[in-house]
Amino acid sequence: MELLKASDLVKGYGNTNAVNGINFHIEEGRCVSLLGPNGAGKTTTLKMLSGLLEPTSGSIDFKGEKAKDLRPFIGYLPQYPAFYNWMSGKEFLVFAGQLAKLNRKEAEKRSEELLERMGLANAKKRKIRGYSGGMKQRLGLAQALIHRPELLILDEPVSALDPLGRREVLDMMREIKKETTILFSTHVLHDAEEISDSILIMHAGEIAISGSLRSVMEEYRQPILQIEFEAPAADWLKSIASYSFVSEVNIQGNKTSIVLKDMVNGKQTLLKDIVERKLPVRKFEISQTTLEDLFMRVVKS
Amino acid sequence: MTQWTVLYRKEMTEMVRNYKILWIPIVFILLGVMQPVSSYYMPEILDTFGDLPEGTILEMPLPTGAEVLMQVLSNYGMLGVLILVLSAMGVVSSERQSGVAGMVMIKPVPYSSYILSKWAGLLTITLISLFIGYVASWYYTSLLIETVAFERIFQSVVIYSIWLVFVVTLTLFFSTIMKGNASVAFVTILVIFSISSVTSILGKNMTWSPAKMPEHTGQVLLSGELESGFLLALITTIAIIIVVLLSSIQIFKQKELLE
Ligand SMILES: Nc1ncnc2c1ncn2[C@@H]1O[C@H](COP(=O)(O)OP(=O)(O)OP(=O)(O)O)[C@@H](O)[C@H]1O
Ligand SMILES: [Mg+2]
Repeated sequence: MELLKASDLVKGYGNTNAVNGINFHIEEGRCVSLLGPNGAGKTTTLKMLSGLLEPTSGSIDFKGEKAKDLRPFIGYLPQYPAFYNWMSGKEFLVFAGQLAKLNRKEAEKRSEELLERMGLANAKKRKIRGYSGGMKQRLGLAQALIHRPELLILDEPVSALDPLGRREVLDMMREIKKETTILFSTHVLHDAEEISDSILIMHAGEIAISGSLRSVMEEYRQPILQIEFEAPAADWLKSIASYSFVSEVNIQGNKTSIVLKDMVNGKQTLLKDIVERKLPVRKFEISQTTLEDLFMRVVKS
Repeated sequence: MTQWTVLYRKEMTEMVRNYKILWIPIVFILLGVMQPVSSYYMPEILDTFGDLPEGTILEMPLPTGAEVLMQVLSNYGMLGVLILVLSAMGVVSSERQSGVAGMVMIKPVPYSSYILSKWAGLLTITLISLFIGYVASWYYTSLLIETVAFERIFQSVVIYSIWLVFVVTLTLFFSTIMKGNASVAFVTILVIFSISSVTSILGKNMTWSPAKMPEHTGQVLLSGELESGFLLALITTIAIIIVVLLSSIQIFKQKELLE
């Protein structure tokens, strides 16, 4: 079932559009990642969905109805979560729960539950002032979940964390995914590949590519040749661009990746070339484009 | 429990934790007590520290109780207002700056509840401080100088509290529309100072001005009677307070709260 649909969403600041007419929808129960480089408009998009930012134009439907105030149904973790640092972790959660219309008892119970789940049970009585970055992120996750929202929106939940903290939060998201629809933004492609079912790639305020992770990968996957030379072979690399089976050549120092339209034919011809010209090859590898290649392609275009 | 109550309780807890609930009333008590004490001991103080020629006889009439209390209120009007504005300047702006206002509003909280809980918190601390300080002042004045009728005390403090409510409401407003704490305090003080000066310069043409409230307070203390312009000033002050509150809520709604 379609949980949320955004139609022609636009957000303008001055005379530029941070978000420039995007359309997408989120199926219930999915984990969707919103990818994009810095300044792509991810945060702006999420803020509009959360209801805290009025779109310049466009509409948001929730469960098939035009959304008025979505805040009761959404749990939101901002990119830079902030807290009342004089409160203890537990106090803040109970406070957030009551703001989300839980009664005191429910809020207490739910807070205990989430503190336990987020691994903060031992720190629940400590002032938030003394929490580490990772603990604050987990507390932020807990406050977003406090009222059992139908849609959990996380803005770069792991970007600020060290590898260990990132692992923890990702594992938690994998758990949460079982019970709640998640939309999260990231520029770490690996995370998106790891836990999301669908992806939206944003660039310069527009959605460049969207779909289920599998279909996007299949649709955009291309065979790729990676060649590493012992010495630069720029002349030859320039010349191969004229072959009809070569669609793209990326040179990075002695390493080169060549996107091919026809692997069988291309591989043969290029290998033959290398042998004939006695080029000093160190590595010759056949592989497939990854999400990262796709991302780079979108961002560069 | 409504969200307003939750937010108001949070305001009060915060004031307890950062000791505002203690030190602001203490300032008001000090300001209130110092006046009768120094009036009473002034001749002796001058005698001891004043470099007066030998044999000078001091003729210093002791002020009346009402005059002392008027002086107290005038101190509240300067230092008291300054303290209140400084302690309230960050009430919304700090929370917007840190981003925690966004964390609150991301929950289904009416914008009015947020602003009105802030307002109620400010009112609480302001009124507590004024009442306690004023009562302390009254007590020392009766002890050292003379007793002022309780009725006049009561009337004057009620009228004066309306002026202070006006002051903190303005502070809340500027704290909502601006981000820097220092500029909030500066602009608020500037506006209050301007209103007061213009009112005292134009006098007769400004009977409606909220800054007339301190004058009416003095009048009640001295004569026990209200001047004729009081009702007009009261009505405009309350009207301005309401309009300022409503605009604060509207402006707060438009602000971007999340980074
Ligand atoms: N309040 C604002 N006023 C003016 N421009 C803004 C404002 N907020 C965002 N922008 C602009 O809108 C664009 C998109 O910003 P946004 O924060 O949505 O990007 P993002 O994808 O979240 O980037 P990042 O990965 O750095 O968080 C940027 O160019 C930014 O400068
Ligand atoms: Mg962002």
